[in-house]
Amino acid sequence: MIDLNALEPGKSATIQSFSDEETACKMMSMGILPGSTVKLVRKAPFGGAIYIKADNQQFAIRNKEAACVMLS
Amino acid sequence: MRNVELEISTKTLTIALLGNPNCGKSTVFNQLTGLRQKVGNFPGVTVDKKLGKLALANGQTATLIDLPGTYNLYPTSQDERVVLNILANPEDEFYPDAIIYIADVTQLEKHFLLFSQVKDLGIPMVLALNMSDAAAAQNITYDTNAIAKAFNVPTVAISGRMGDNFEGLNAAINQLITQPFKASTPFYQFSSFEKAISEKIQEKHQLANPFHALLWAQNATRLTFLPSEARSEISRLVKDHNFNRLANQVREVMQRFDRFTPMLKKTVQRTDTNQISLTERIDDIVTHRVWGPLIFFAFMLIVFQAIYAWSAFPMDMIEAGFAGLTETVNTLLPDTWYRSLLTDGIIAGLGGILIFIPQIAILFLLISILEEVGYMARAVFMFDNVMQRFGMNGRSIVALVSSGACAIPAVMSTRTISNWKERLITILVAPFISCSARIPVYTVLIGFVVPSATIWGIFNQQGLAFMGLYIVSIIAALGSAWVFKKILKTEERSFLMLELPEYRMPVFKNVLLNVYEKVKTFTIEAGKVIFVISIVLWLLASYGPSNKMELAEKEAITFATQNNLDADATADLVAGKQIEASYAGHLGKFIEPAIRPLGYDWKIGIALITSFAAREVFIGTMATIYSIGSTDDEGTIRDRMAKEVNPVTGKPIYNFATSLSLLVFYIFAMMCMSTLAVVKRETGGWKWPIIQFLFMTILAYLGAFLVYQIFS
Repeated sequence: MIDLNALEPGKSATIQSFSDEETACKMMSMGILPGSTVKLVRKAPFGGAIYIKADNQQFAIRNKEAACVMLS
Repeated sequence: MRNVELEISTKTLTIALLGNPNCGKSTVFNQLTGLRQKVGNFPGVTVDKKLGKLALANGQTATLIDLPGTYNLYPTSQDERVVLNILANPEDEFYPDAIIYIADVTQLEKHFLLFSQVKDLGIPMVLALNMSDAAAAQNITYDTNAIAKAFNVPTVAISGRMGDNFEGLNAAINQLITQPFKASTPFYQFSSFEKAISEKIQEKHQLANPFHALLWAQNATRLTFLPSEARSEISRLVKDHNFNRLANQVREVMQRFDRFTPMLKKTVQRTDTNQISLTERIDDIVTHRVWGPLIFFAFMLIVFQAIYAWSAFPMDMIEAGFAGLTETVNTLLPDTWYRSLLTDGIIAGLGGILIFIPQIAILFLLISILEEVGYMARAVFMFDNVMQRFGMNGRSIVALVSSGACAIPAVMSTRTISNWKERLITILVAPFISCSARIPVYTVLIGFVVPSATIWGIFNQQGLAFMGLYIVSIIAALGSAWVFKKILKTEERSFLMLELPEYRMPVFKNVLLNVYEKVKTFTIEAGKVIFVISIVLWLLASYGPSNKMELAEKEAITFATQNNLDADATADLVAGKQIEASYAGHLGKFIEPAIRPLGYDWKIGIALITSFAAREVFIGTMATIYSIGSTDDEGTIRDRMAKEVNPVTGKPIYNFATSLSLLVFYIFAMMCMSTLAVVKRETGGWKWPIIQFLFMTILAYLGAFLVYQIFS
């Protein structure tokens, strides 16, 4: 199983689970749920964060949080 | 259940606006209240508390409160905690009698989580489906009546931006508060764990419903309204029941989504297009690896240039206006203590407040536009990593850049940073960045340090030195930010999960209201402090112990008559002798032993004290002390300072070491009462401005000491 950081920019995958409950609660409250399709749009210019698209919405999250997002 | 009808006759109704971030809540609030709004702080925290008046159909006026945007009732930031502490406490002064829940109809599922939680609290609610205009543009259709029926809530579609269907919203609110309210069956089904613990809490504290009790169990340590015994008792219950808070939160959120998503699917139709949206195409450029940062710095250059250059004209006008006023008063009134109080104390104090308004207005005009459009979230995304190293946030860059013009609007602009620690660090270090008020001081002093020659035929040495001063100030800001990052502790786990909203045209009503509100807050809140300090500084400079001031005046006049000085020169001489005899003069002499290791005499000491009003006052005070009148010409002052010799050694006072030491002092020192006043307002007390003043002054002292000791 890979996490969201492993996705290549421009590629999409389906979220299977979250490995950390606090992150899970926050992400899900923003509408990023297990089963959602997530696309890694691009990496931040100076690293540290990624630009993702899930369910027609754009978000910025840190690599630290992205590491808790498990893809199937 | 609460009898709403009964309460109408006994007290003013409180109606709250609630919703997720980016749901367009502020636009709706501005549409409903216009200028009838008041912005303050929630007690104990510096989270904007926006209150307004809402006229009801029955002739009464309700209080409308705009609650901070939040995604759920399990807070991770200060703003979200404010919402929890109001909604979980029916005794709270702002506990709403009714809620207008604002949901972005183009993203309805996401906006329904908080809605379903609040619904389970049993507070009467109107659901406003906002952004109906955007939905129409995106071919999203929805059935308002079906949603109303499915969720048992009065529902109206509105557009805050266009002002569409506010009559419908008003009608729904009026109907809601006049009809008896009956809470519907809870949306969420409790697990056995949740049931066990919430029943205990509900019974013990007589709470209205189980979800209310569950909120208490989930957030025990965050409920600031409860006495600490009650909090620890609930925490004990949580432990005794082996209640896993996070696991239950996740379960709850899942279950809610699982329930309302199918319900919404039936009532909302969207023609899913895989088309790349305009927002994505814009972001391809403005968050690009190379172009993104370049575009950002181009914007920052415009912001800096605007505060710096555009404000010059209105600032000159304000200055000229107050100078004219002073002159008029001087001709109308006899030369008495109250004329001096009026001109040098009150009028100067007011002028010192109003002078900042152009800079504040211009910065907030630009920042509000960038924020409204949706650009700021992109800046946070791009610079998060860099700024995190210094304990700050992408938004901090805007504050630091603005500080190059003036720290006051910069400190005020940090309000949008939701993480308290990141915000505090930004506030603490922003005043290090060399602002425009330091320029006159630098201009005067730099000539004593660096000759006006060119290197390699192109670079002016003084110009390079100027740049050096700016670089030192930036290093000081980032270095101390790094230190604060290590020192300051926070309970908040730092997250970056930021929605990057669709780009939208700014709503100018929002922008203008924001500018108006910032200017008003500064003038009133910070203005009070600035005004009082101005009067104190006036007292110090105008009065002296016993009759020393009069003696000084007489002495000066005698000297002037003996030497046949003209009227202007006599007045200048009197002013110089008087300030020496004043309390400020005594203070200057009193601190002389402390500042001698920095290479300063008591005259510089006086200027250090008076320039606490604002750094540029240093020049004016120097002019007064050296009796060259209140001239604006920095060259004259420099020439006079260059002639000043140490009476003991016979060498110039403003030698290389002393001048450099003064420069270093002015880079670091917090010589600005207005900034301190704003920091007090933005941090909610005197603690942080005092800490800031102390560490900046200590750093300035040490820096100046080192420089003087090395070079003298």
